[in-house]
Amino acid sequence: MEFEEIYKTYWDRIFRLCMGFVNDYDAAQDLAQETFIIVWQKLETFRNESAIGTWIFRIASNNCLRQIEKQKRFPKTELPIHLSEEKQQSIEPQIQFLYHCIAELPETDRIIISLELEDVKQAEIAKIVGLSEANVRVKIHRIKEKLTQKFKENGQR
Amino acid sequence: MDNDKTIDFKDLWKKQTVNEPNIDDILMRLKQFKKANLRSLWKTNILLFATSAFILFVWYHYQPQFISSKIGIVLAILAMAMYVAVYNRLLKDFKHIDTTQTNREYLEKLILIKRKQQFMQSTMLSWYFVLLLVGICLYMYEYTSRMTVLYALFTYAVTLLWIAFNWFYLRPKQIKKQEKKINDLIAKFEEINNQLL
Repeated sequence: MEFEEIYKTYWDRIFRLCMGFVNDYDAAQDLAQETFIIVWQKLETFRNESAIGTWIFRIASNNCLRQIEKQKRFPKTELPIHLSEEKQQSIEPQIQFLYHCIAELPETDRIIISLELEDVKQAEIAKIVGLSEANVRVKIHRIKEKLTQKFKENGQR
Repeated sequence: MDNDKTIDFKDLWKKQTVNEPNIDDILMRLKQFKKANLRSLWKTNILLFATSAFILFVWYHYQPQFISSKIGIVLAILAMAMYVAVYNRLLKDFKHIDTTQTNREYLEKLILIKRKQQFMQSTMLSWYFVLLLVGICLYMYEYTSRMTVLYALFTYAVTLLWIAFNWFYLRPKQIKKQEKKINDLIAKFEEINNQLL
């Protein structure tokens, strides 16, 4: 697959994954872009041993984990200007609340639930995170319960 | 959402607004990234080059006669070269960490690298000071030997005092600062990794 094609196909999904992790529009945009820079660098080394999706999601989730350390590698001001102009804040409160709740989960749970909501197969999630499939299933179940609970408490249904 | 039981999280999740993917943006970012990489390479090299050039200038210009002065200069260069080399290696370690592994393997690798960094930083800083101290004292010998004993003693006393200040005050402070940062990070990564156990 060509880089441009990958970028167009996966941009939305990677952005949402990052958004679920940090719940900050600008930071998520940054993380997603960084992910694609890594993808671009590593594309030559991709050898089809795994699905390209798994491969990209691994890079994206690892990059999210890594940002814990280096929070200002790319200063925000260097972002192309029109990106921030297009920024849309006023999404439905329910959506905001979902992302808020997810970003409050333990780090690895954020990744797991984001991938699940992205319709990534549980077997693939297991391969991305490095857990057994059974383990992933249990975790997803628990996380969903937790989220439902939070939505109920908040009266967001 | 129809009833209490099922909230369609997937539907909500996908409704998040996302900016259109813009290939120009990412290409621009790639360019910036390449430039930044090149710049950092230049910075370290220029620093190393300038320091060595300065020391070589001292060597030629003052023409030290004693072998002790020459050894002193070599030790000082060695100390600085070691410092730059170690930092370059740490940086390289970070750059080449494989991002396509599973999260679990990745976290384990991060923890490992951080541990290595922790060890290298404190050990290297001590070596750096020792080499520099010995280098300076050796280098000074040629010049102090031409002074009266009193002046020579005074010169050494001032230098040693300065070095002692560095060793007993600046060095521990620096190590402590670095350690705190690294230890916090290691703790955080370990905590995340434990979520996967």
